[in-house]
Amino acid sequence: MKRFKIKNPTLTILVLLTVAFLTVAYLLPIYVVLVTSLKSLPEIAQRRYLLPGGSLHFENYVKAFRLSISSLKNSFIISFTVTAAAVFIGGLGGYYLSRTRSLLAKVLFILVGIALYLPYQVILIPLVQIMAKTKLALTYFGLIASYLVLNVPLASVLMGTFFTAIPRELEEAAEVDGASRIQIFFRIISPVALPAYASTAIIVFTQVWNEFLLALTLSTPYTMTIQVKLAEIKGSFLALYNLQMAAALIALLVPLVFFLALGQYFIRGVLAGALKG
Amino acid sequence: MHVLSRFTQAAKLVWKRKRRFRGKFGSIDFLVFLLPLLIPTILLYGMLLWTFYVSFSDWSGVAPNYTFAGLKWYRMMASLDRFWVDVRNNLKWLALGVMPTIVVALFIAYLLEIRPVRWLESYVRTLILYPTAMSFLVSGTIWSWMYEPTKGVFNTILRSLGLEALTGRFVTDPSTATYWLIVIFIWQYLGFAVIILQSSFRTTELQEMVEAAIVDGASRLRILIQIIIPNIRGGILILVSLLLISALKVFDIVYIVTFGGPGYSTDVLSLHMFIATFQQHLVALGAGLGVIIFAMAFIIIVPYTIYAFRRWFD
Repeated sequence: MKRFKIKNPTLTILVLLTVAFLTVAYLLPIYVVLVTSLKSLPEIAQRRYLLPGGSLHFENYVKAFRLSISSLKNSFIISFTVTAAAVFIGGLGGYYLSRTRSLLAKVLFILVGIALYLPYQVILIPLVQIMAKTKLALTYFGLIASYLVLNVPLASVLMGTFFTAIPRELEEAAEVDGASRIQIFFRIISPVALPAYASTAIIVFTQVWNEFLLALTLSTPYTMTIQVKLAEIKGSFLALYNLQMAAALIALLVPLVFFLALGQYFIRGVLAGALKG
Repeated sequence: MHVLSRFTQAAKLVWKRKRRFRGKFGSIDFLVFLLPLLIPTILLYGMLLWTFYVSFSDWSGVAPNYTFAGLKWYRMMASLDRFWVDVRNNLKWLALGVMPTIVVALFIAYLLEIRPVRWLESYVRTLILYPTAMSFLVSGTIWSWMYEPTKGVFNTILRSLGLEALTGRFVTDPSTATYWLIVIFIWQYLGFAVIILQSSFRTTELQEMVEAAIVDGASRLRILIQIIIPNIRGGILILVSLLLISALKVFDIVYIVTFGGPGYSTDVLSLHMFIATFQQHLVALGAGLGVIIFAMAFIIIVPYTIYAFRRWFD
């Protein structure tokens, strides 16, 4: 369709208007966050939000950072561990799903397909029971294990989608040479699929970093994630909008950097997750 | 003729080899490739059944109580005014979180497709897609500040423009609060919807059909309605399902912006489940609410999964 851009003034105006509207709608919140987070409270009370304040109050960030540093660390530990493990395990499972048509694979695909979109509410009560009984909730391992169980199906389907696109000839040649499945997977398929691993990793990471319900229910003061901390900051410093905005930006920063730096992988991951094959 | 039959024979041979190859997984391979996926799946379904059982138990209080109580807590649920407010709000989320998102996304995706300006696409994509990487907690915190009625951003802007009449109470007005929450959802999912629609536009068949229609002199609007929309039904089905499921699961936005308030006017099933289970300790009721959410999700997921299944094993 790209070839058919006929010059049409009405259309151009329509496009520019839409783009202008989207620019305001999507940059205003970020702009407001930046400006508010750098103001002092008296400056906020003056209600001139669109203008930057007189001097830049970085102390809001210092305070927000001090409040959230330990939860940032927790989020890093949990998110990176889950991502690494889920991507590795998901690669194995996804390879199975993409290479067999047995009845088992078909049943599993349906089960996994539904499990992908299971509302967390429906497993929350048993999960809390298990965590309480095993005392896992007191350590990182509780949240890590829970997220792993929930994200391995996602990672498998994503990886499977990418594996489906890899030509079988590669494997056939290796098989003729007498390589086993496991050798084929680790020596041939995995290296070819590195970009797929990157896409899956960025999706899983974003999911885990941003997850709130499980983190809220399962985390203790020692394992509190950044999202729960942000909710706590918002709840306990009700009127301190400058602090809230600084904390929001801190919580946003990591996934945003990933998104901006690895946007293509992110988009590929989103599409693979949506289309499932 | 001779060439053709040789070709089909070769094709058959390749096909046979492919089939044989696809099916071959030894028992060690099963352990390595299958178990990692099988174990989490079994755990998830086990916990699902567990929740079902809890919803029929008589568990209220902190200590587990698995005495069978039949439909007792479901009856209790149906007698709660709050439950019906939840259902109404969830339906609002489903309808208004999904339809407008798709219509606007279709409009934007189509505009990008016939873009008169070249640099627009990557700019608009980044612009509307960055909230996809954002958590609902972050967007909820930001939008709470935008919506704040006395000092917040929107009202201040409106006042400074002399539009006092347009200022509103946003999420503090019980009758409209849910709609303002849905706006946040739409804002956050629009970019996601646009890239999925764009990718379903870009199939060779569709491009050829559109080219033919343009040669025939069809207007852009007609091309969109009569050619593009009917031919991206698959993409739209996927998008509708994913948006429905996200709108149904919504918890974070409500939790952080209004916590169900004012009163319980913006409460949704997922938040009610959380409050019933972990604050009121009516665990059987919470499990029942979880089951209701699952039932609604199930209805949405099944057609989607069947569609995905057909594509996967085609």
